[in-house]
Amino acid sequence: MKKLLSLVLALTMVLSLGVVAMADGGSDLNVMVETPVMSLDPQIATDGTSFEVIADYTDGLTQMDAEGGAIPAIAESWDISDDGTVYTFHLREDAVWSNGEPVTAADFVFGWQRAVDPANASEYSYMLSDIGQVVNAAEIIAGEKDVSELGVKAVDDKTLEVTLNVPVSYFLSLMYFPTYYPVNQAFFESVSDTFGTSPETVLSNGAFVLDSYEPAATAFHLTKNPDYYDADKIQLPGLNYQVIQDSQQALMSFQTGALDTVLVGGEQVEQVQDDPQFLTVGAGYLWYVSPNIKDVPELANQNIRMALTYAINRADIAESVLMDGSIPTYTAVPLQFATGPDGSDFSEDQTLFADYCADDADKAAEYWAAGLEELGIDSLELDMIVDADDEPQKVAPVLKEQWETALPGLTVNLTIEPKKQRVEDMQNGDFQLGLTRWGPDYADPMTYLGMWVTDNSNNYGFWSSEEYDAIIDECTTGELCTDAEGRWARLYDAEELVMADAVIFPLYTKANAEMISSAVTGIEHHPCALNRVFKNAVKEG
Amino acid sequence: MKKYTLKRLLTSLFTLLAILLVLFILMQLMPGSPFNDEKLNDDQRAALYAKYGLDQPVLVQFFRYVGNMLKGDYGVSYNISKNTPISQLIQTRLPISIGIGGAAVTLGAIMGLIFGLVAALKHDTFWDTLATVVSVIGVSVPSYVFALGLSYVLGFRAQWFPMLYNAQLATQSSVLPSVALSMFTMASIARFTRTEMLEVLDSDYMLLAESKGISGPALIFRHALRNALIPIVTVLAPLIVDLMTGSLVVEKIFAIPGVGSLLVNAIQSNDYNVVISLSFIYSAMYIGIMLVVDILYGIIDPRIRLAKEGD
Repeated sequence: MKKLLSLVLALTMVLSLGVVAMADGGSDLNVMVETPVMSLDPQIATDGTSFEVIADYTDGLTQMDAEGGAIPAIAESWDISDDGTVYTFHLREDAVWSNGEPVTAADFVFGWQRAVDPANASEYSYMLSDIGQVVNAAEIIAGEKDVSELGVKAVDDKTLEVTLNVPVSYFLSLMYFPTYYPVNQAFFESVSDTFGTSPETVLSNGAFVLDSYEPAATAFHLTKNPDYYDADKIQLPGLNYQVIQDSQQALMSFQTGALDTVLVGGEQVEQVQDDPQFLTVGAGYLWYVSPNIKDVPELANQNIRMALTYAINRADIAESVLMDGSIPTYTAVPLQFATGPDGSDFSEDQTLFADYCADDADKAAEYWAAGLEELGIDSLELDMIVDADDEPQKVAPVLKEQWETALPGLTVNLTIEPKKQRVEDMQNGDFQLGLTRWGPDYADPMTYLGMWVTDNSNNYGFWSSEEYDAIIDECTTGELCTDAEGRWARLYDAEELVMADAVIFPLYTKANAEMISSAVTGIEHHPCALNRVFKNAVKEG
Repeated sequence: MKKYTLKRLLTSLFTLLAILLVLFILMQLMPGSPFNDEKLNDDQRAALYAKYGLDQPVLVQFFRYVGNMLKGDYGVSYNISKNTPISQLIQTRLPISIGIGGAAVTLGAIMGLIFGLVAALKHDTFWDTLATVVSVIGVSVPSYVFALGLSYVLGFRAQWFPMLYNAQLATQSSVLPSVALSMFTMASIARFTRTEMLEVLDSDYMLLAESKGISGPALIFRHALRNALIPIVTVLAPLIVDLMTGSLVVEKIFAIPGVGSLLVNAIQSNDYNVVISLSFIYSAMYIGIMLVVDILYGIIDPRIRLAKEGD
């Protein structure tokens, strides 16, 4: 019996090794993602995983370099009119779709029109209207004009002309955002409703070709695209994606060599942080607490808000609770995603607003006493709504503890809600304090500062300042939009208003802890648009 | 028997329709909506509601859904895989969950029967105690603990089986999750078999059978076990549905592309059509298996068949 059993086991092992070797086919990069792809339709996708995968097999007009700058891709060159509102892109001759058709200017026109077509209700349509300022985008989204009136036209097969309402300093870096990717109309119409649901229903014009995929797959594969115009520079034979939701399993899979790169959960950081393959990568997200200034009289009190923001020990949260490289943040715009005209990080100086925000329990107590006196009360009870996800669940109890310790008479109750419910409650003003986050959509401070203008749906506290609105106008559509340095300086003025009024209590800039195999180099990480780019990745052996 | 089966079938259909309506109403009561993302504004949300017909009254939505369902159209996903037809989403996942769950039930039932029989026949010996200890552990330790343990020992350390589900190695990949999932079934069945067998072995007809000279395997299997099986089948039926509809935690640990994780993701993101279709399929499977069990009773125990025919 024993002999038989060992024979069966040995056979199973030999067989499985054989199949593994066949399936592997050399040195594909084995990549972990936390969530499945939600959509492969570039104009419908909204999440990081989907964007990353779409960008693996699709090139836009520009692509992201290692620092997040825009470099030529499908467009080999471009001209910008003197007033900065007309962009003429010259498309490369050798760019082809995986069905052999050339990539033309019309493909971009079709893709962009899909993004603003109200029938598609694309969540990221504002990338063309508010952010990109493409002529008529806003009117088309609102249903006032036809998609054909969008400010983009194919002059000929290889020339694309884009007209903007106002100059947009970061427009070229929007071109690598998937919402702006081309879609071949004839192909799209031939697959109609099934677009993006299988390898047969997507076209590639990028470094890789999707060759195994089904909707919401937990594993899928891409192979190097031999017809890619830059194929000589692509070294990886393929990308092997694996969705893993359990971080312990992910780490063990990395340790067995089944995966080349994995995310590491907070619990495992201590176990692996001395490993040379461990690194932390900026994720761009700002986590913050939003007080409901309009509807909660106690939170309308400036001193109470100042007390709450000073009472938070951000360093402790980042270093003892999260331990994943997240950076304590004391500015309304987080670190490491927006680089200014002089090449420096917009939020590099974290002491810039030290007069309004710091980890300082003593100052907090002073503001607290003053606030309570103004309100004529000696105790206060506040509710905070928190997502039912792991990270906020870890952070919220610590915040509660820090507040209740530093501010005598304060009781904070935590209400755990599914994220969608929490967002709805905050947008409706149905909350007191809310723990929330925001990820940058493009590499400019405006992706954050744009939130706190009057009546913006993400201005959860319903804060309103005419002065602030005016500065934001000036920097988006007003006279400063052509003056990069002047605009940059003025944005700090706007940020100061938000910080001085304690409109939000910033907590930390999120980082991800990762393991990357020492055999792998060249994976590019970005805090916005495309989180990872594998075009320049190399795997030894 | 025919009349009885027909009656049961009709009741089942009506129950399914009622379940569907309740599901629809529950969806409406669920907090949030599928389109509550930070980056959507009110106009876009309204456009999405209109696009999917969610702006209409529940009853209109319900009848339209039932109508489409009869044509085989279960709607599309709103979130977890945007605009993908549910049928496409489920068709590759359901077989995987059914396969792993089916293997777990089969393994659990066989092992459980063996353990139970041994315990009953060797009553009050070391083997009985051992079987009892194993059963208590099996019932009380959650399946994900077994899953993590198996994954660590046989997947990570010994590397006998894949730690993560691999479609190209479907059989090997299914071993660890199936074993982890089978523990509870095995333990419950072992306990039931032991109790039932002890009762049957003590009964007068066993004495009669023995005194008629029947002995050995025939006595145990034809006379004792057959009678002990009836309550066991009742316990087994819901376990089958439970396991075949996919275990969330075990699917998560082994990264299995099954329906259990799909349902939980769908609930968390208010993906109405996915939740409704999956819950509906679960209900249909449950009702179907209960129906089969009812008919099985008749085969195992003629008394039940006769009583029903008298109805």
